[in-house]
Amino acid sequence: MYRRSLISLLLLAVLSVVVLAQQTPPVKTHLKVGDTAPDFTLRATDGKTYKLSDFKGKKNVVLAIYVLAFTGG
Amino acid sequence: MSVDSVPANREFAKQIGITFPLLSDFKRTVVKDYGVFNEEQGFGNRATFLIDKEGIIRHIDEGNVAIDPSTVVEACNVLQRKKTSQ
Repeated sequence: MYRRSLISLLLLAVLSVVVLAQQTPPVKTHLKVGDTAPDFTLRATDGKTYKLSDFKGKKNVVLAIYVLAFTGG
Repeated sequence: MSVDSVPANREFAKQIGITFPLLSDFKRTVVKDYGVFNEEQGFGNRATFLIDKEGIIRHIDEGNVAIDPSTVVEACNVLQRKKTSQ
C-alpha cells in the first residue's frame, strides 16, 4: 500500500513537471548568428523614426527587447 | 525596444531616467520577425541581438540571460577588436 502511494506520488510529481514545462513554453527565435537581421522601422520616444538599414555601413546596432515598460527590466 | 506605445515608453523612460530613445513595436511586427513574440501574453520575450554594420546578427541573448548585458558588451568588444585588427 505504502509502495503504491509512493509510486502514485512520484508519477504525480513527474506529471506536474511535464505540465508546468508545457505551460511556459520557451519561445526560441528562429534567427541564428550569421543570419541577416530583419529590417524594421519604428517610432521612438524622441519623436524620431528609426530604420535598421539606415545604420548599414555606419554603426553596429544592439537591439534590446524588454518585456514591458514599468516592469523590472 | 518593447511592444509598449510611444507615450507609455516615454513615461517609463522618464520614471527611470533613461536618456536614450526607446523604440516602440506597438504592432508586434518586429518581435514576430525576430521570433520572440509571446503569443499567450502578447508581448515580446526578453532578448538582445547584436547586429553588425553589414546587418548580420553577431550575438543573441534570449530569456533571463539577456538581463545581464555583459555578454553582449563582450560581443561588442570582440566586434570592435576585429574591426581594428583588419
